[in-house]
Amino acid sequence: MIDFERFTLDNGLKVIVHRDTSTPMACVNVLYDVGARDEDSERTGFAHLFEHLMFGGSINIPDFDNVLQQAGGENNAFTTNDITNYYLTLPAVNLEVGFWLESDRMLSLAFSEKSLEVQRNVVIEEFKQSYLNQPYGDIWLEIPKLAYKVHPYLWPTIGKNIDHIKYAVMDDVKAFFKKFYCPNNAILCITGNVTVEQVKALCEKWFAPIPMGNPPKRNLPVEPPQTQARKLELERDVPASAIYKVYHMGKRMDKSFYTMELLADILTDGNASRLYVELVKNQKLFSEINAFTYESLDPGIFIVTGKLLDGVTLERADEAIQTELAKIASAEVQKDELEKAKNKTESQHIFAEISILNKAMNLAMFELLGDADNANKETEKFFSVTEKDMLKEASTVLKESNCSTLYYRSKPKANAN
Amino acid sequence: MPTKLDRKTMPSIPTFGRDKIEIIHAQNFSLPNGIPVYYINAGTQDVIKIEVIFRAGSREQDVPLVAGTTNSMLEEGSKKHTSEELASLLDYYGSFLETSSQNDYASVTLYTLGKHLDKALPILEEIIKEPSFPQNELEIYLHNNKQRFLVEEQKVRVVAAKNFPALLFGDSHPYGHRTRLEEFDRVKKAYLEAFHKKYYSAGNCSLIISGRVNDVLLNKIGDYFGKDKITNAAESANHNYTPQSAKEKVNFIPKKEAMQSAIRMGRVLFLKNHADAIPFQILNTVLGGYFGSRLMSNIREDKGYTYGISSSVTFLQHAGYFNIGSEVGSDVCEAALVEIYKELDRLCTEPIPADELQLVKSYLRGNFMRSMDGPFALADRFKHIWLHNMDYSYYENYVKALSTITSAQLMEMANKYLHKDSIYELVVGAKKG
Repeated sequence: MIDFERFTLDNGLKVIVHRDTSTPMACVNVLYDVGARDEDSERTGFAHLFEHLMFGGSINIPDFDNVLQQAGGENNAFTTNDITNYYLTLPAVNLEVGFWLESDRMLSLAFSEKSLEVQRNVVIEEFKQSYLNQPYGDIWLEIPKLAYKVHPYLWPTIGKNIDHIKYAVMDDVKAFFKKFYCPNNAILCITGNVTVEQVKALCEKWFAPIPMGNPPKRNLPVEPPQTQARKLELERDVPASAIYKVYHMGKRMDKSFYTMELLADILTDGNASRLYVELVKNQKLFSEINAFTYESLDPGIFIVTGKLLDGVTLERADEAIQTELAKIASAEVQKDELEKAKNKTESQHIFAEISILNKAMNLAMFELLGDADNANKETEKFFSVTEKDMLKEASTVLKESNCSTLYYRSKPKANAN
Repeated sequence: MPTKLDRKTMPSIPTFGRDKIEIIHAQNFSLPNGIPVYYINAGTQDVIKIEVIFRAGSREQDVPLVAGTTNSMLEEGSKKHTSEELASLLDYYGSFLETSSQNDYASVTLYTLGKHLDKALPILEEIIKEPSFPQNELEIYLHNNKQRFLVEEQKVRVVAAKNFPALLFGDSHPYGHRTRLEEFDRVKKAYLEAFHKKYYSAGNCSLIISGRVNDVLLNKIGDYFGKDKITNAAESANHNYTPQSAKEKVNFIPKKEAMQSAIRMGRVLFLKNHADAIPFQILNTVLGGYFGSRLMSNIREDKGYTYGISSSVTFLQHAGYFNIGSEVGSDVCEAALVEIYKELDRLCTEPIPADELQLVKSYLRGNFMRSMDGPFALADRFKHIWLHNMDYSYYENYVKALSTITSAQLMEMANKYLHKDSIYELVVGAKKG
């Protein structure tokens, strides 16, 4: 249970405060309601590039990291298809430094040409390191565009084309900032050894003077239901072939999400999970197998993926996965199978609440989704899922006509050495 | 009118740096049979972490992969339960296990909610004391890990990380071994049984417990782990820990068609209890130990050659080493190397400016507080002195050094350890320049 208070400044900034006196630290988390899905299809990767630029100096503070480190702080950020989230932790006695820093870069960036040039290169190296110079790395460029045809989830956060990053110019950067980086498009969450009065006063001082902006109303194309199986084959120089089966499912707060999370757990989490026991241990088809959902705010995807053992064909592996999924889509899961998955979820939830950073990110995310208090209702939602719900969801989602299948074939060796 | 807000100046942080950092110490006692237990009661959640540690690391193995395989296979079946049953019994209550095999030690860690402790403890005991190492599970484990090994070998970063200790310590040194594919075929069930019998014994065991710890819990630990008689602790394998470093300082491993090259640079250092350990770690932070470090500022933030570069200091029980790591665009690898050497040289020839040193001290102070935050973090901090036979005075000295160390002392450290001719360099990639 995370107790919190919340209030909204006149400029529209939503603020959440959670007090935890067991730590000498504090966390400042700022969530901006902008992600890769809000990008122009001809300027993809921009939300993420922008995240890098947010560290390149703000209007009054030339070096973000330098001053934060002087205050004993540490920070990072991440960009998803849905949001951009910045966080810092520092000794609670230095809390005001966090307010000073975050409010200044919400006010305005320095827009330095040098920073843009360098961060373009850094992101290009990140692109190479994560997607190109990594066995199986490029599948995360391929899967989204196979599964989505019109919704902007069809490109990854790094961008669909590295040229979009290469040719980004300062005008684009300024326009993006003006459009999305304003108090009424953000949620500020403070956790740790702080008081609500202290946070209120600091908010009035540092954030209240920032003028309100005019963020665009989101109006994204809706992905039409998939009605036919999709297939893609790639051949790459990797040691083992891999298969990816990608199914459309519901969005983050839908019952579908909670159900599919539990389903993923029953299928592949741990040595007692269904696919692990059947396909890895008994049939010895895969060296590893995993199923997981994406926590996306618009309707998302559920992925089942495995790496094949030598001598197993992709067709055989595909068939074996389908056979197992058909079982869970045609008969109710065992009562204790579901109970076990729920207990695991509860336990993970409690363990995650040890950290003030996790708590801050969670509260901010649930506030974006409508109500921060939902952070405290997650376990309840998982526990309300029944065997019948599981069957209904599995039979709706786990159909070939709702599936994109990617065969990632290991290139035969020209000469064995 | 209120006075205009000054956004240019950092808000004052008057108390930071002078306030005392509270270090919560681990308590300890012995089980009836003599097994030492260290514990930290802290935190707000009803969670418990029990780490059972054995002197059973890879340095004790006679056959490669045996230590790690023994450790991983503990979960794969006991005299009473199959692998699947063991997993179900823990999963059902949301408890989970972590097995870990390091150079110097191996451990099995249980994470559980306090309310489910009674269900989880017997499983932990069974996994540790009565593993059956079933042949079928062993074959699957080895086969699948062999395939994973092949995948990992494609990553320049992994190849560099694996080959670098061998350069520093030598191939036959217990810390320098490079895993080879054929070694997966040589692991036998009998080796695991023998290794388990010898090293996973009561006399070779310690426990570190953290979270919501109380007397009831500590008594229960005695019931499960305090009754086995301690015979003599297994002797450590008799190794020579003198490093046999490579002759060539500059090394290159070709990796066709790699878009990025992995760089590793560094050298052998001293043990953690050495007088230079704390000052050198502060120096390392200046160089590459935080986001604002010289390597990051120069090679990422100024030149854009890389997504990340860092340096670190590793202390094992019988050796210490320093190591810089990065992946850089293949076309700028040579330029990146030049810049790295420039930064090393700068530390040897120019005193660190006062404001930069102050920044690093403040950063490390905050980082130290972060690293002591929460029950599991406190347990880790304890483990990292305990493994080196040290006590909390190490951390007291560390905090003291954060206010007293000078640029002159750090320059002396740099000249002692960071001259170019003492640094080993390894590049894994398409080409060097």
